[in-house]
This record gives sequence, C-alpha cells and structure tokens, in this order.
Amino acid sequence: MAGTGETKVLHEYRQAMTVLGKSLRLRHESILLLILAAEWLFFAAAGRNFTTLDNTFNILRHSVEIGLLALAMTAVVLTGGIDLSVGSLLGLCAVLFGTFWRDAHLPVWAAMLLTLGAGAAAGGFNGTLIAWLRLPPLIVTLGTFSLFRGLAEAMTRGVDTFTDFPASFLFLGQERWLGLPAQAPIFVCFAGAMWLLVHCTTFGRSLRAIGFSPEGARYAGIPVRSRVVAVYLLAGLTAAMAAIIYTARLGQAKADAGVGYELFAITGVVLGGVSIFGGVGSVHGTLLGVAAIAVLNNGLAHVRQPREVAGMLTGLLLLLALSGSEFLKRLATRRDRCQPSPAATEKA
Amino acid sequence: MKAYSREVSVALTLGGLLLGLAIFAPSFYQAQPLLSLAAREAPTLVAACGMALVILCRQIDISIGAQFSVCSVCAGLLAGAHWPIPLVLSASITIGASLGALNGSLVAGLGLPSIVVTLATMVTWREGLRWLRQGIWVDLPEGFQWFGLRQSAGQWTIIILALTVLVLLALFMKHLAAGRFIYAVGSDAEAARLAGIRPRRITFAVFVFAGALVGLAAMMNVAQSPQVDPNSGTGLELKTIAAVVVGGVAISGGRGNLWGVFAGLLLLACLGPALTHLHVQAYWEKAIQGSVILLAVVADGGHRRNQGSP
Amino acid sequence: MPPLLQLASVTKSFGAVRALRGVSFDLQAGEVHALLGENGAGKSTLIKIITGAHSPDGGTITIAGKRVPQLSPTIARKLGVACIYQQPALFPDLSVAENIALRLESVALFHLIDWPERRTRAAELLNRIGAHFSPDMEVRHLSMPEQQLVEIACTLGAGARIVIMDEPTASLTQTEQVLLSAVVRDLCQSGVGVIYISHRLDEIFGLADRVTVLRDGESVSTGPVKELNESALIKLMVGREVTQTYPPSEAECGEVVISCRNLGCSAGGIHDVSLDVHAGEVVGLAGLVGAGRTELAKTLFGITPCDSGTLFLDGKQIEIRSSQEAIANGIALVPEDRRRHGVILEMSVAANITMAIHRRLFPGTWLRFNAERAEALEFIRDLDIRTSGPDAPVASLSGGNQQKVSVARWLATNPRLLILDEPTQGVDVGAKNEIHRLIRRLAKKGMAVLMISSDLPEVLGMSDRIAVMRGGTIVAILWGQSTAHDVMAAALGLEVGAQ
Repeated sequence: MAGTGETKVLHEYRQAMTVLGKSLRLRHESILLLILAAEWLFFAAAGRNFTTLDNTFNILRHSVEIGLLALAMTAVVLTGGIDLSVGSLLGLCAVLFGTFWRDAHLPVWAAMLLTLGAGAAAGGFNGTLIAWLRLPPLIVTLGTFSLFRGLAEAMTRGVDTFTDFPASFLFLGQERWLGLPAQAPIFVCFAGAMWLLVHCTTFGRSLRAIGFSPEGARYAGIPVRSRVVAVYLLAGLTAAMAAIIYTARLGQAKADAGVGYELFAITGVVLGGVSIFGGVGSVHGTLLGVAAIAVLNNGLAHVRQPREVAGMLTGLLLLLALSGSEFLKRLATRRDRCQPSPAATEKA
Repeated sequence: MKAYSREVSVALTLGGLLLGLAIFAPSFYQAQPLLSLAAREAPTLVAACGMALVILCRQIDISIGAQFSVCSVCAGLLAGAHWPIPLVLSASITIGASLGALNGSLVAGLGLPSIVVTLATMVTWREGLRWLRQGIWVDLPEGFQWFGLRQSAGQWTIIILALTVLVLLALFMKHLAAGRFIYAVGSDAEAARLAGIRPRRITFAVFVFAGALVGLAAMMNVAQSPQVDPNSGTGLELKTIAAVVVGGVAISGGRGNLWGVFAGLLLLACLGPALTHLHVQAYWEKAIQGSVILLAVVADGGHRRNQGSP
Repeated sequence: MPPLLQLASVTKSFGAVRALRGVSFDLQAGEVHALLGENGAGKSTLIKIITGAHSPDGGTITIAGKRVPQLSPTIARKLGVACIYQQPALFPDLSVAENIALRLESVALFHLIDWPERRTRAAELLNRIGAHFSPDMEVRHLSMPEQQLVEIACTLGAGARIVIMDEPTASLTQTEQVLLSAVVRDLCQSGVGVIYISHRLDEIFGLADRVTVLRDGESVSTGPVKELNESALIKLMVGREVTQTYPPSEAECGEVVISCRNLGCSAGGIHDVSLDVHAGEVVGLAGLVGAGRTELAKTLFGITPCDSGTLFLDGKQIEIRSSQEAIANGIALVPEDRRRHGVILEMSVAANITMAIHRRLFPGTWLRFNAERAEALEFIRDLDIRTSGPDAPVASLSGGNQQKVSVARWLATNPRLLILDEPTQGVDVGAKNEIHRLIRRLAKKGMAVLMISSDLPEVLGMSDRIAVMRGGTIVAILWGQSTAHDVMAAALGLEVGAQ
C-alpha cells in the first residue's frame, strides 16, 4: 500500500499546480524571460564586450553540452525520475571515444558511433534497473554516478589524456559553420526534436502520464516500463553526444570531463519550471533556465567576478525561483480556497 | 531476527571481507594503521548518522559535504584565533546546525523538495567557501591536534566519541518518542499530521540535528591533522548515502536503523584499504563504491519483493 | 441524560456555496445514528464541523451537555470525537502495535517508549474486535479490511464517545460487513454513540437506530429507522420518486466473445477459472472480498498476466501479457480504484478520455488536438459529464463524473469485452442509475459486459448470469433470477438452495 498521506499531499500539490495549470506555468516562463532580460541588460551595461556576437557565440558554445544534458533530463524528470549520472557518463564517453580513436585506431566517425552506442547502453542500464527492478532512480543514478566516473578513472588510470584529434573533428567544437559555432545547428536540431517529442507526440504525453501516476498510466494501456527505459536510454545517448562535442571543444578527453555538469543540468531543468515530482514542465522552460544560467556565468566573468560568485549566485537563483514559485502557488490557492471545487464537496 | 535480516547480511559480508583479508592480505591487520583508519572514518560515522535520520524522514541532504567543509574551515580559523577547544567545538556544532536550519526551513517551511534545496545550498556553500578562502589551507596552532593529547589517545578519544554518538542515537531512535516520530513522518507524513505529530517541525528538527552532527564530525576531523583542508568534505554526501543505503535504510523513509548504517560504513571503510592490500589500484575505488551501492539497492529491491510488499 | 452531541442551526458557507443551511442534529449515547444524503448534500461538511476541521459560520455545538465555543481537531479529540475514514491513515512501515500507540500516546517529544506495554495493549484491543493478526505485523502487509480494524482498535483505545464512521464498509462486503456491524453494536453497548455514513441502504436498515437525511445542506428528516422503508428514504434523499429498480435487459444474447478455460494466475491467487461471456450479455461477478474477482479482471486485462489455462476470443486462442495487448484484443477494464487507476487526476478530461486510443486517434504519434477535442466533446455529451470543458483537469470533477470519464476512456476503445470493477462504488443514487442505463445500452449494442460488484441488489438486478467466486475460482454460475440467498450461499461455500 503506498502511503496514502504521501499520495494525498502530493495530489494536493499537483492538483493545485494543474488547476492553476496553464496560467501559472505561463507565469513561470514569463518570469524566466524577465530574469533573462534583466541579466542581459545588466551585463550589457556593466560589462565590456558583453553584447558582441563573439561573446554570444561563446555563451552558446559553453552551454551546448549542459543544454543537451538538461534537455534529456527534462524528459527523465517529467516521468518523475532523475538522472544524476549524466555528468559522469559524459566523462566515461569522452574516455571511451578517445580510446576508440587512439587505441583501437578507428576512424573518427566510427569512434563517434560506438561512443553513442555505449552511452545509450549505459543509459539503458540505468533504465532497466529503474523500470524492471523498480528501484528508486535517485539511488540507482547515484550509484552509476560513482560507477561511470570510476570506470573512466580506471580506464585512464587516473592520469591518461587523449589529445591530438584531427582538425576535421575539432572543427565541430571550435570553428564556425555558416557563421555560427559548429555545434549550434546540432543543438538547435536536437532541441527542436526534443520539443516536438515532449509536446507534440503520444510519447511525450505518456511521459507526463507516467510522471503524474505510474499506476494510472499502466491501467490506461501505456507501456510504462519501456517508456521509462527509453527516456534513460535517451539521456545516455545525449550524454555521449555531449561528450563528443565537449572533446571537440576542448581538444582533449580526460576522465574528469563533465564533473558537476549534472548539477547544472538539474538546476537548469528546475529553474525552467519542471516539477521534480513529475508530470509538469516544458522543453522551452528548460531552455530558458539553461540560458539564464549560461548568461549569468558569462556575464559575471565579464564584470570580472570570479567563477565562485557565479556558482553562488546560481545556487541562490535556484532557491529564489523555487521559493517564488511556491509563494505564487500558495497565494493563488488561498484565493480559491473560499470556493471549494466540486471534488472537495463531493462526499458531503 | 527477521527484522534485522538486512543488518545481519551486511555484517556477514563484512565478516567475509575481513576473513578474506586475513587470508590473502594479513598485512591489513596492524594495530596502528587500523587505529588510524578507524579514527579517520569516525567523523564519517557521525555524519552518516545524521544522513540516516534525514533519509528516514523521507528527505535527502546532498549538502552535508559542503557543510562539513564550512564547519572545518571555521573551526580551524577559530582555533587559530586561540579560542579554547570546547568553544571551538560548540561553534562548529552551532554553525552546522544553522546551515541545517536553512535547509530545514526551506524544505519544511516552504515544502520545497529536499533534493533541489540541498543541491542549491551545496553549490552556494561550496562556491562561497572557495571564493572566500581561495582554497588556502588553514594552519592550526600547536597543541590543537588530537585535542592536545598524544596521537593514540587522541585517536581513541575520537573513536569512542563516534561510537557513543552512534549508541546514543540508536537508543534514541528506538526508545524515545521523538525518534519514533521521525519514523512515522518518514512512513506517512499525512497520517502523522492526523495523529497530532507535526511533520514540519520534525523535518525541520532533523535537518538542524543532522547539521549539528556534521559540525561535530568536522571538529573530529579537524583535530586529526595540523592543517585544515578546505576540500575535506568533498564526497562526504556520497559516502554517507552509500553507508546508509548499504545499511538497509529505505530511501523512501520509515524503515531501517543505525546499526545497519554502522555495518554499512564499516564495510565501505574497509573496502578502500582492502583494495590497497590486495594490490588493486586506487583508481578503481569509485567504480567499486558505485557497484556496492548498486548491489545494495538491487538486493533491497529483491528483498522487498520476496516479502510481498506491493 | 443529555445527548452526547447536539448541533443547533449550524450554517457553513464556502464563498458563494452554502454547504449547510441551519442543520440541527443530535446523537444519543448508545445509538447508531445514520447520516444519509446524496453527494453534495452536506454530509462531509457536517462531519468536518463535528471533528473540528472546519468552524461553523453560525449555530452552536454542544458536547455532553456543555456548549463548545471553539472546536479544533485537538479539542474535539480530547472531548472524545473520533472519525474513521474510508482510507485508513496508518503508517505502512510501522507495526500494528506502533500504529495504535502513535495514535493513542501523547505527542510529547521526550517520553520513553514502553515496548512491552505497547504490544500488550495492541493485542488486547485487537482481541476485543476479533482481529486475528499479530500486533507485530507491518501495516503494509495487511489487507484493507484488516487496516480498518486497526483504525477501529485505535478508536476503541482512545475511549472515544462520539465515533463517526465514513463509509467504513465501502471496500468490505457481506461477511466483513457483518463482523463490523457486530463491532459497532458492541461499541454502542458501552455507551458510545456512532454516526454512520453509508450509501448502502440494507446496511442502514440492519444497523441504525435513527436516520437523518440531508438534502442541499438541510436536514429534511430525522427519525427512527423503523418508520421508513427504502423507497421513502430515497425519496427523501433525492426529493423525488425514484424507483430503485434496475433498467430491464433488452439485449439479445449472441455468440461467445470471450472464453477462459482453467485460467490461473499464481501472482493473483486465482486458479481454474472457466467462464464464457456472450455478446450482449451482462455477467455479474459476485463474491466476498478476497475471492479473486479483481484479480480475475486484472488477469483478463493483462495487468497480472495468467500463467496457466487458455483464453479464447471469438473462438481463437489468444495470449494477453500486458494491458496494451488486452486493448489490442478489444478488452477494456474500468478499474475499482478510480482516483489511482481509473483516471489521471492532474490531466485534462480530453487527455484522459483519449489516453487509451493513441494508436487510433493519433496515427504516426503526432498529437492532433482538434481530433482529441472533438472526441472528448462527443463523450461529454453522450455520458452527460458535468465539466467546465474538455480542458478541465479531472481533479476538478465530482466523483460520479470522474467515473464517467473513466468509462468514456474505455468506451472510446470500442471494446468487445468491457469489464467494470465496482462501477457505482461511492457514486450517488442519481449517477448510479445513469451508469446502469448505460450498461444496458452497451449490452444492447452487442458488447459483452463483465460487472464486478459487491452490491448484491445491483448484481441481482443487472446481471443476465451471475458467476460467484470463492477462494480464487468460480464456484457457481447462477441465472439472474436467483435470490440473494443463493448468491451468498455460493460465496460462502454452502449448498445453494439449502436454507
């Protein structure tokens, strides 16, 4: 028997979120846009060279990897799960990519394909444990967070670095293509595909259903297990993609690639209005959240603030966003409390 | 015995590991290194007790590593300012409790999910500390290390302190109403509210208490070397969560006990040195730690299914 | 002797909604006072006022002869008010003894726990109500009726004088109901007054001393139950003549749609189930709780697939390993737990209605919002679902309408076999009638219907044939003209026809 109290409390939270539903979510995304605009204006005024095209491209370049992780994380969190292992998987895939290319002497494109496969397999591993063995996602991905990073460290014996990649490969991360950073079209295509997947397909709809009520989704004929495995597999695939772009951007692959990235990804996702409990959230919200963090980081560097300040402010921004959202919700439900919904008076 | 089956299996695994070491790497069993190992892990035990309480309450706190670092550095600075040891200890505990209180007020007061709140506070404390201290180690004054005692006396003091905390807390969780309320809130917060237990107060108190324990653990750690490493808390949350999960505490709250956490911590603490003595390279440690967590949680899942829970 | 509880002219409004308009109510010691009324009549608000969860806008509350100016849950508890809800609020991971203790002991943080005393007291209370499980069992492992007994043990232990029971037998049936009635009568012997809310009229006649009927926030009748009969009660509740007759069957019984032979599912505890359901036929599935009816439904629908026996659809053998396969084969299940399984509360009416027909409505996986809206509007009209629109979240609908959304979802799949698990549970009389008429319409169109119900009159009134389950298998198949006695006898394992 699931804890009825827990379900009741969660149901109340979710009911409130949905009854306010569209209006609140729109409000959340509008707030994000305002924050983004405020950041941009502030740094444009306070910093030098902030609004140049070069800098904008820089922001884009540095946020592609986290953006990819955040997009994949959105789908995972919509089902009510979480994946703390994506950063470590990025590191593992980077190391694998280097190994395939340098030690197995495979051509770059083959190494890329194998890496993508490995990432998907790792994601599938997470998904299988979570969906088939019914284990809590937090703990499973905490375990793989350690395991994947550990495998990367073991493979490189803690010190090995892969460098000297061919220029045609490094183009992907460092050069421009048609005037934009080369990774931009990849990111835009991926973001577009994710948006369509989550908002316009039956797959996306089923993710939300699973997030709101896994049992309810099962009784409605939704193949819950395979959907859950699919989202984690997608997250793994995305981490591999991000690893390839990361390696191309930095020109090297080490075991510490992507350390801390899962935190940035989750921050972007939660900032973007995705509920950690599942069911509620949007891809455009996540993109705005990631953008807000990326602009903040870049802007602070421009006004000569150290990296640590950016980190602190990101943490504070997350807390403010969560608290603010909670306050707004409470204000709205207090207004509605005078008039109970028909469901509330149902048993009268 | 059925109620303690998980704790027993962990203890048996530990026994197997120790036996294996006795056979294949008897060099593991030397008095002084073992004593140092125990003293080094004692602070982790205290922090793990705090984490166990938080998880039993159906919450999680991934900021304890950052809390630990902050408390360590503060303790070091105060010691450097020649504060007497008891005051430094109280200060460390108070700082830890305050950090815990911030987590607690956001989680209990505003009802925000603890994973996200503690993620945010973790990043904030960690980056804030790095910004203020720039990673510089804090030198401790003469006579501070080992509380001014000889090394082995100091080590025994720390070990006994940690074990005392463990035993007191285990008794408290079993025989004091407040302890049972933690289990109740973790099992079903709504039913707790209906029964007159205040889930929000209990949750808040648990975060504060866990913070205080982290402050104590930080002090116990600081007293073991002549300098304070500002990164000493790195990875603490993973270590303690691993110990708690391996020890049989359910991540969904309401189930498990501190003896299991103790057994889990012993198992994980012996793994590192065991690997060294078995000539396994250090860089395998993370992978093995991750595998142990996964094995523990898979075993948990199987166990639950066999007991026929829905 | 003053009444245990007396409410005089209590009013309560929520914004513009007047939930109670001057209700007077009293409870004498040692009596079972039934509280009846349709959904929305004010029962739940009245109960919340008595337990102190809401404070009245007007009127007075008197407990044991003393006026109570301000009633809060804590004060109410101290004055001896206890409420047993349909969903027990227990701690699943803790033992029965601890559950009882946490309810009864003080909430002071720092008192020592006396474990042996906890166990003894729990054992004694469980004994008094005839419960057979050990106080050391974790509540997780108890069945729903057993959990309700734990709730009652808590009430007993708290020495409550005013006990409110809100639909306690909704998930129990005949035998458990009988047991509970005995416990309730035992409570009353010791001077406790019980306010009993139930939709089951036969229960009310069997147990209650007096009955109060609420309608639209007013008390329309209070009096001894002996002076009323069923139709009079219903008339009072609904305000108009409503015959508790079931719509007659107009369907022609056709070919066998679904046929199972020796079907078994070890996980669900069912074995050797053999049953045929014909097109146009309504088969009622009767039996006690735990007999395996819901488990059979779940096996037919693929939630817990069978591991023995065979299943035939239109004469061809099929395998159903998942709910998707069941739907593909034209089997639909409207589940018992409406809120958790029947609908997804946070999603819209339209999304819920189309949840099972994605493949048909959205070929190529792209959502088509116009088609979805049209489909939803059609069902809203056909089933008369009261909602502000297809985009409204299902959580904002009343229980009866939520049930209609659940049914609409499955009707949209055009099933060959429709399985209904307790379709009218917790639904008021008016909506019940609508659902019964709907079932008849579906049968007339040629659908095969398997209806699980614990409401004997409903089973007898609606079924063409009745399959009775006991101990995980079907023990008897009776014709609709059978009597309640025959069905009960079969369910209990006695000789059918013996007196």
